[in-house]
This record gives sequence, C-alpha cells and structure tokens, in this order.
Amino acid sequence: MSKPLTPSSPALGVRLIRAFGVVLLGYVLVMTFSVPLGPGIVDVRVSPGEESGRKTTFNLDIEGHNTHFTETYPLVFLKRGEHFVVVRDLESLDDQHLAGRVALDKFVPALSWDVFVNSPVDGTMSFANGFFAQGLTTSAKAKSPDNNAVLNRLSDADLGFHFPFQPNIMETIRNLMLHVPMWFTMFLLMGISFAQSIRSLGAKGTLEHDMKALASVKTGMWFGVLGLLTGSLWAKFTWGAWWVDDPQLNGAFVTVMVYAGYLVLRSSVKDEALRTRLAAVYNLFGFCLLVVLLMVLPRFTESLHPGKGGNPAFSSYDLDSALRAVFYPAVLGWMILGTWMYAKTLHLERMRATLAESRLQRATKAGLPFAALTASTWSDPLTNDGKMGVVVGVAIIIGLGLGIWSLVHARESKALNQENERTA
Amino acid sequence: MRETWHLFTYLWRAERRSQHGLVGLALFAITTTYAAYQVVRGRPDPTTWNALAWVMLLFTAVNGVSRTLEEDRPEVLAYLKTVVNPVHFLVARTLHNSAVLSGLSCLLTALMGLLMGWGTLDGPRLWGFLGGMALTSLALGTTLTLIALIAARAGAGFGMTAVLGLPLVLPVVLVSTSLGSDLMHGVLVSDTWHNFAFLGALATGSGTLGVVLFPYLWRA
Repeated sequence: MSKPLTPSSPALGVRLIRAFGVVLLGYVLVMTFSVPLGPGIVDVRVSPGEESGRKTTFNLDIEGHNTHFTETYPLVFLKRGEHFVVVRDLESLDDQHLAGRVALDKFVPALSWDVFVNSPVDGTMSFANGFFAQGLTTSAKAKSPDNNAVLNRLSDADLGFHFPFQPNIMETIRNLMLHVPMWFTMFLLMGISFAQSIRSLGAKGTLEHDMKALASVKTGMWFGVLGLLTGSLWAKFTWGAWWVDDPQLNGAFVTVMVYAGYLVLRSSVKDEALRTRLAAVYNLFGFCLLVVLLMVLPRFTESLHPGKGGNPAFSSYDLDSALRAVFYPAVLGWMILGTWMYAKTLHLERMRATLAESRLQRATKAGLPFAALTASTWSDPLTNDGKMGVVVGVAIIIGLGLGIWSLVHARESKALNQENERTA
Repeated sequence: MRETWHLFTYLWRAERRSQHGLVGLALFAITTTYAAYQVVRGRPDPTTWNALAWVMLLFTAVNGVSRTLEEDRPEVLAYLKTVVNPVHFLVARTLHNSAVLSGLSCLLTALMGLLMGWGTLDGPRLWGFLGGMALTSLALGTTLTLIALIAARAGAGFGMTAVLGLPLVLPVVLVSTSLGSDLMHGVLVSDTWHNFAFLGALATGSGTLGVVLFPYLWRA
C-alpha cells in the first residue's frame, strides 16, 4: 500500500456543477443582503384617551421600518371587520415616525382595532390589534362613518422586487437563505450516508462504502452544528431565548447527538470489518428514528417553528415569488457546496486508510466562539435597524464555520500529504 | 417460535442462577425511588411526579438492558452462534428485557405510590398509566436491546449503551411523558389513546428494524 495517492482531478461534468454551485451561492449571498425588505409597521403606541364633550381623543405614535412617511401623507385608519375609522391630524416626524389623532364616541363597534397605513409609495401596511380603545364601551348599534372615506382613497404602490415584511421577523427573513439550507444539506448528506451504509452491509459491500458513509456523516455534522448555532441566534431575536423547548429544536439537537454517537462508536472499534457492520447498523437504525423524530412527531405537537404544529409562519410565504427566487437557488447552491466538501473529506479518508489503518483519528479541536455572543450587551446592535444584525450574525457564524472547516481540512490534508510523500 | 420460547426460558433460568442480577436491579429501582423521595420530601405536584416516574424508568431501563453485556460472555456467544437463529435470539432477548422492565416499572409505580402518593391518578387512569409504562418498557426494550448488543460487539461497556441509546429512545420518552402528563392532568384514557398507538408503533417499528438489521451483527 505504498502507492502515493494524488487527488484525482474530477470529471468535467462535476467541475461544471461545482462552478454552477459557486455561481448560485454568489447570487444568493448578493441577493440575501441587497434585496430590499418591504415597508411595514414595527410598533404603534397609543396614549390614554382625553375626554372632550362627547368625544374621546387618542394620540397614536406609529413607528415604521423602510417606510417613507415624509414623501407623501399616508392614509391611516383603524379597521375591525366592516368598520373603519380614519386617523386625522397626521404629522410625520421623519420617514419612520408618524403621529396622529383619532376621536371616538363613547360607544364604539369594537375596542380592539387593527391599524392600517396606506400610501402610494409604501402600499398597504398593517399592525394587528395595534389600537385598544381604553375606557370606551362596545355597542352593536355604534356607527362607523368613515367607510367611504377609506375605501375610495386606497392606493396601490409598486414596490419592485422585495422580501415581504413580517412583524417581529423583519429583516431576519433573509436568514431563510442561510439557516434553512443548512438542514437541507445535512439531510442530503445523511441520506448519502444512509444509502452507503445499506450498500456496505450488502453482499458486495466494501470498505469504500463505509468510508463514504463516514465522510458524509462528518461533513453533515458541520452543517448540523452550523444549523443549530444559526438557529439559536435567530431564535434569540424572534422568540426571545437562545433555546426553547420545541419538538423541532429537540429533534435537531438529538440528530446531532445521534451522529456524534456514530463517530464515538466508530472510534471504539479497531477491527475494520466489525466496525463497518456495527456503524452501518447503528446508522440505519438512527436515521429511521430521526425521520420519525423530525418528520412525524413534530406534526402532532404544538411548535413555534415555522411549518410545524399550529404555526403557519412561513407557509404563506412559501408562495412569495421573491423569496422563492432566492430560496430555491440557495438550497441547491448549499447542497452542491456540501457534496463538494464531502468529496474533499472522502479523499482525506481514503488517504488515511491507505496510510495508516490503525492510527486513531484525530479529533478536530475546532470550536466556535459562541459563548462570546451570549453577552447581553450584544443585543442592542443586533436588534437595531429591523434586526438586520441577526442576519449578519448568522452569515458570520456560517462563514466562520466554513472557514474553520477549511482550516481543519487544510491541516489534515497537509499532514496526510507529508506522510504520503514519506512513504512513497 | 419453539426456539424463541426455549431461549426465553433459558434466559430466565440464567437469571435465576446468577441471583445478583434481578435482585440488584430491583434494589437499584428501590434506592432510586427512595433517593427521589428524600429529595422532594412529601407529595410532589403532578408534573414533578410524572417527570420523576419516567426518568427513573429510563435510568432503570438503561441499567437493566446493559446487563446483556456481562451475561453474553464470548464462549457462551460462540456456542449460541452455532446453534441459534439470530432473529430468534434477538426476539427472546427483547421479550426478556421488556418483561423485566415491565415488572420493574410496576415496582417503581407501587413504591412511588407508597412513598409519595399517586398524585392525581386513580381508578382507570392508574391502570392506564401502568399500561403506558408496560408499553414504554416494550418500546425501550426493543431499542435498547439492539443498542446494547451493538455496544457489546464493540467491546465497550455501560457508558457506550447510554451514549448510543439515550438519543435514540428520545421519541419514546417524548410520547410516554406526554401520555403521563395527560393522565396526571385528568385526561381520560380514551382521550389519549393516540399516545398508546404511538408507543405501539414505535415499538413495532424499532422491533422490525432490529429483526432486519441484527443478522448483520451476528455474522462472525
């Protein structure tokens, strides 16, 4: 086994696919950070009502994101069912802040109203239950005289290519292109590992299949850990905690634990043939239970996570053409990058097997500087400006992760190459 | 079928001969319950009661199933391999482990009732809880038996069973805790039947996987 191993240059088709993946990821990164977010209302503050004669007057302060309140006077109104009330005496303090006044009778059709802002520049924006008429009384007979005034004056706006605004999520909707494909890529890699494990148990199974299963689990673990870290950062600024008790999150954590167990099991068996069989059986068993854990159980439980349980958060956006135009290329691009990393890892595994079968695998000492991010002083810069900092943070985590991967990969590659030259 | 039954009875006889095996496990369950009683002091609220019951069953299960390791000495295994069908061996082991776990879960529940009260369980819901514990024992038994056999083949000990097994039994734990918390909070047995169905499905699924995969472990 002293034949030196050189990286076989990949076929033209493979190289073209990889180049395509790089182009896709470039497009995705540029789009993720440059496509504007549609305008929306961040907050509505209502002062206590002041009684004057038969009317009670409330002052409203509306805070927007990416809005243009100074360009035109928008139409602001409260809506509940078929009832409309126009907000008057508007004053725009700047592009993001608008003040207004609303006068109501003692008897109103409803107490809790949705706040709407409509303008030719920004289109229609809403803030659910933004206005509560404290101190008034509901009555079925109460009038709502402003219906015509609202319905005749609504105007449409052409916002161009933009991502949809969602309260609380805001700019972090861009993380859809970064965080979610981590899991898609991990599933693809674990699927490769599953298939290779089946083949390694078959009559024609060889050590090569086992190496492929190992290489894809190793690469998939990187994406799993990056998915956990980026998800944790995103959760902190949308759900308010680094980690919440949620079936989807538990499933993701257990996934990483099961594959960590796979690596531990491998490292504890010296005999190659036995190791192949044990690892393959555990891998098949684990993958089947993971499908149950991640695909089946979360659908029967309540969950904060989009797409599961009672939370429809992203389902209405699955059809949003702007998100789709970036999200699908993102998934494909990250998957191509993942399989590329898998091919590079597999090459190292082959070298390792050729050079020294009995040598213990060195554990990667890499760890992400995650603890530094938990300092609470970090929250302010991250939440300013529509939480754009969270997207940057997620991108930095992924960048750091991939950077550490390439450092670790380069170091292992160098060491194995040196030994390869010595033995040649 | 016959062979499975023979193996099953053989395992019971081996258990009786080794003496320390079952008694040791029962002692483990009793001391754990007593330690938990000392920590909570008195009658815990339903949520705590439920959490304690399932955590103790889980730990007893990992402990009990890992005994598979010490019993299967290489000479015995080498002999068994020449005469026994691997699937029959796995089924007998699984049934044996599940039966032991079911007995221990009854013991645990009885002891908890004695020391800390039944919580809000009474009548049919207590029987439902015990039924859930038996089903959970079956599901834990099927998963952990296979994992313990993998760990035994790897030549590693108890720690390996825990490392490999605990993540994999999490689906079972999630379903059984939600079953227990339903019953504890006054839900009728007939209204939480889906949890029983889940437990049964998980036991069947991991049992089937084990039957398919175990022959590959058995080969020399």
